[in-house]
Amino acid sequence: MKDFRELETEIKKASDKFTNIESINEFRIKFLGKKGIISLEMKELASLSGDERKQHAEKLNKIKDTVLEIIASKTEELNSEELEKKLNSETLDITLSTSKSYGTIHPISQVIEEVITIFGDLDFFVAEGPEVETDYNNFTALNTSEHHPARQMHDTFYVETETDGMPNVLRTHTSPVQIRSMLKQKPPIRLIAPGKTFRCDNDQTHSPMFHQVEGLVIDQESNMSHLKGCLEIFLKTFFETDKLNMRFRPSHFPFTEPSAEVDIGYTKKGNQLIIGEGEDWLEILGCGMVHPNVLENVNINSNEYQGYAFGMGIERLAMLKYGISDLRTFFDSDLRWNKHYGFSPLNIPSIIGDLS
Amino acid sequence: MRFSYSWLTEHLKTNAHFEEIEKKLTSIGLEVEDIQDTGKAYQDFIVGQVLEEKKHPNADKLKLCKVDIGKEKVDVVCGAPNVEKGMKVVYAPVGSTIPVNQMKIKAAKIRGVESYGMMCSEYELGISNEHDGIIRLEEKETIGRSFSEIYGLNDIVIEIGITPNRQDCLGVKGIARDLASAGMGELLERKISREKGSFKSPIKIEIQDNKICSAFAGRYFRNVKNTESPEWLKNKLKSIGLRPISALVDITNFVMYDENRPLHVYDADKIDGKIIVRSANDGESFLALDEKDYHLKNGMCVIADEKKVLGLGGIMGGESTGCSTETKNVLLESALFDEINTAKTGRNLSILSDARYRFERGIDPNSTLKGIDLATQLILEICGGECSEVELAGNIKENKNEVSTSSSYISRRLGFEVSDKELISILSSLGIETSQTGDVIKCLIPSWRQDINGEADISEEVIRIKGYENIPTSNIRLKSKINKNILNYAQKKLMKARHFIASIEYDELVTFSFTDSKNCEVFGDINKLKIVNPISEDLDILRPNLLPNLLQAIKKNKNRNFDSFSIFEIGSQYRSTSPEDQLNVACGIKSGIKTEKSWKNIQTEFDIYDVKQDLTSLIDYLMPGNKKISVSNDCPSWYHPGRSGSIKINNSVIAGYFGELHPRVASQFKIKNKINIFELYLDELPNTEKKTTNKPVLNLSDFQIVTRDFAFVIDKKVKSEEVVTSAFKVDKELIRNVEIFDLFEDDSLGKDKKSIAIKVTLQSNEKTLAENDISEISSKIIESVEKSTSGTVRS
Repeated sequence: MKDFRELETEIKKASDKFTNIESINEFRIKFLGKKGIISLEMKELASLSGDERKQHAEKLNKIKDTVLEIIASKTEELNSEELEKKLNSETLDITLSTSKSYGTIHPISQVIEEVITIFGDLDFFVAEGPEVETDYNNFTALNTSEHHPARQMHDTFYVETETDGMPNVLRTHTSPVQIRSMLKQKPPIRLIAPGKTFRCDNDQTHSPMFHQVEGLVIDQESNMSHLKGCLEIFLKTFFETDKLNMRFRPSHFPFTEPSAEVDIGYTKKGNQLIIGEGEDWLEILGCGMVHPNVLENVNINSNEYQGYAFGMGIERLAMLKYGISDLRTFFDSDLRWNKHYGFSPLNIPSIIGDLS
Repeated sequence: MRFSYSWLTEHLKTNAHFEEIEKKLTSIGLEVEDIQDTGKAYQDFIVGQVLEEKKHPNADKLKLCKVDIGKEKVDVVCGAPNVEKGMKVVYAPVGSTIPVNQMKIKAAKIRGVESYGMMCSEYELGISNEHDGIIRLEEKETIGRSFSEIYGLNDIVIEIGITPNRQDCLGVKGIARDLASAGMGELLERKISREKGSFKSPIKIEIQDNKICSAFAGRYFRNVKNTESPEWLKNKLKSIGLRPISALVDITNFVMYDENRPLHVYDADKIDGKIIVRSANDGESFLALDEKDYHLKNGMCVIADEKKVLGLGGIMGGESTGCSTETKNVLLESALFDEINTAKTGRNLSILSDARYRFERGIDPNSTLKGIDLATQLILEICGGECSEVELAGNIKENKNEVSTSSSYISRRLGFEVSDKELISILSSLGIETSQTGDVIKCLIPSWRQDINGEADISEEVIRIKGYENIPTSNIRLKSKINKNILNYAQKKLMKARHFIASIEYDELVTFSFTDSKNCEVFGDINKLKIVNPISEDLDILRPNLLPNLLQAIKKNKNRNFDSFSIFEIGSQYRSTSPEDQLNVACGIKSGIKTEKSWKNIQTEFDIYDVKQDLTSLIDYLMPGNKKISVSNDCPSWYHPGRSGSIKINNSVIAGYFGELHPRVASQFKIKNKINIFELYLDELPNTEKKTTNKPVLNLSDFQIVTRDFAFVIDKKVKSEEVVTSAFKVDKELIRNVEIFDLFEDDSLGKDKKSIAIKVTLQSNEKTLAENDISEISSKIIESVEKSTSGTVRS
């Protein structure tokens, strides 16, 4: 019986000399090629008979498997050596600078969207009205007659157009949206109206243009306790805090009765305002039960329906939440400011995700 | 409204701590805005006497003084021109703080000489604006005595904000009354003797127009001496920031701040004949106590005599009958002027006065005669003389409002149960008389609360006295929704546009809705946009376009060394100042450096194709689905005529523009850079609410994709878009895409010619395209493009 020991030794010897893919190829041809040693031996099997053929075949197949295994493992070994070499030569300087590629959303827009998100979740829809308003909508319908002292506190801008013989005004608050909406829609009503407002006043703490958000709820039962509940949810959600000291105190607006101003507690830690806790108070908004005269002015029966309204300054909310110290910087278009205080456009306020 | 704590306690008997009162004031709606513990602020300042005064060796304007402060004698360097030997002064010792600037006094060498402490002026002490010299105290003052005692400053001064409805609290007594109602003590009634008068007033009073003045009470005083007021009166006025003038004027001011009752005194010897209360004649003029001449108009309420105007009723007296130290005989006025007329007149003439402030908010009619009585008592006591009987013209109507309410109404409004008993008790604490019939409670409102005239007002009074902190908190979440949509389509469009534009590198700005009419003619009719009372000359119109403010922003930031701009604003611009002429616009600018020169890139600048791409992708985002966008050259005049385009959607309205800012406009705004703009008129995008959430059917082909390139030489003036559309229309099924990949202009092509190269992508849904299919369609493409562009294919 033929002994294949010699062949095995030869294979072992040849396999130790591999230096590259070509030498592996030569090795394959030498043993497994058409005229390779193993192939020739296989052919010879036909001349054998019986047990001998069977034993030879077994042995040869084993040797063939060994060769294939050697080829596979050596190829893999050489490939990874090659890759390693290539990788070593392919380094880039990762410290070279790249540029950012998003613009920014203005804090006013961000805060308005946050406010809409919170109130939207409470089923308030977003109502709108024009920035140039009639005197009637801005004042008279809101129970502020022509000579009411409250009018003088408004520093109204006037324009040259008129409606019903009265000069039109740049709206001094978002409250006229209440009037427009109530004339269009019957109760129950739940709305907010964010937007631009204007007063003829310009100093450190006043800007001739600013933003407010108005809220209005009219139905058969909403009362002062609902107003308190509404504002509590809003302020806690907006300032993203579970603790909120809130103080209602009497005030006066011609279009609400009773009227209230709302303060929230705060403390100062260094330069930072911590909203919600503490013994100091910050005025944050005005509100009250809608005056029956206002409802009658829009043909809503004040014996059947009642409700509440509130209004707050968007800039003030933004300043308190985001630590912006100067009101006038909002409209200064200083790009350094916009890039610093602006928000990512992907940062869309959400109740289930992040509000800010 | 300012008042001192000691003044308050003349009307309020209370055991409450000051802190409690302070809290209560705010909680009943009299918001405490400021508190000055003047006793504390002035506790260190004492009376001193200058013993010696000589020149400073090193400074001409300074003096060296030795000052006796009781327990010792100190050296003080002083720069006041009026310092002299023997003078009694206010001395601020080392360690004290000067109120006006919070400077702490230290022992210091001034020009080489030691100085301990300082002698103060009224200005430095924050008492008045008097800073020409240091305070000269009266001779009789004791050295070492506390200065705050002398000036009546040993007190707490409280400043509260009074809302327009609370006219009753424009006097200290009213504040005390409200505090007493809220359980802070007992209201004290001032003892006022009621002089009958010993003779008839020689000056008669006639009201010609009782709509503008319903009552006028006058009292004549003879042989008075209009001296300086006594210390207590002067200090009282000083403590609330009023300057004492003379006894008669001080008395009227005192009554106004004490009882909320404005009065006026006339020098009776300067009155010709009787007093006539009438409407002014057009063209009449009058010199008021503020030394200004006012031109009056018919309808304004004047107090006149038979020859001239003496005063503007309820607003200001006149120079001609003003009281001086020589005044001997006076007429005291206490009247009721109409609120609206007073407000109108004051506003027309721009006069602000304490009297106007009170009359336009409404004065308690009952105070008319009470005010006369209190002032009479003080005049007789301080100025001597004799008083006449009171002469009253017109009627003092006590008009007490009547309001009916019920505890169920109040409870329904406030959100918690208020019983009849509690309701009645709160009302009676406010001086409101009640009578009950069944559930209805009838309320008789006292004359000083003219603001209460409806049931809702009663609900406010109840919660105000009970305390807003007692309002419970109720849940407002609804069981079923009442609003179908939170945002409508137009609102969503705005919000989406904002986020999209910011996502393509623009920074959002919010600028004023006003702008400068200068340089704005090009954008609209500035005459239709004028603001009557602009905040400043350069913000005198509503903006006809978002661009002017954005261009100014670019200019400002260029000065801050920015050289690359991607900015936008979404907001309203106006066609006119009519409420309906407001448009929603998104406007973006890209200008300057697009890619910075770097290790990786060469420097490139933004051009109109950047903003065109941004605008068309924005429209795509806002209006997904099938639509036809076409571009044409008709742009408004603020665009460069050859480098701008307007965008039409579905061949109907123009929805937006893109292009380069017209060089003339740029130079008006003093901008040198090329400004690339897009404007999208958001209201013009069709408001198509999504009808279904389904997306269009997607047909995917797995057969091979083939691309073929073609180049055509065409006239320069032919739009490249024509090449693309004429290629596309050859076979809408097989041609999947047509794209321009090269544009080449050269004289070698012929005069005014250009070469456009397109890449056409072909794919079939049914088979792999064979070479003959491809060549067939290729020749069709060539034929179509050549025909519609009059060009030739390049081989």
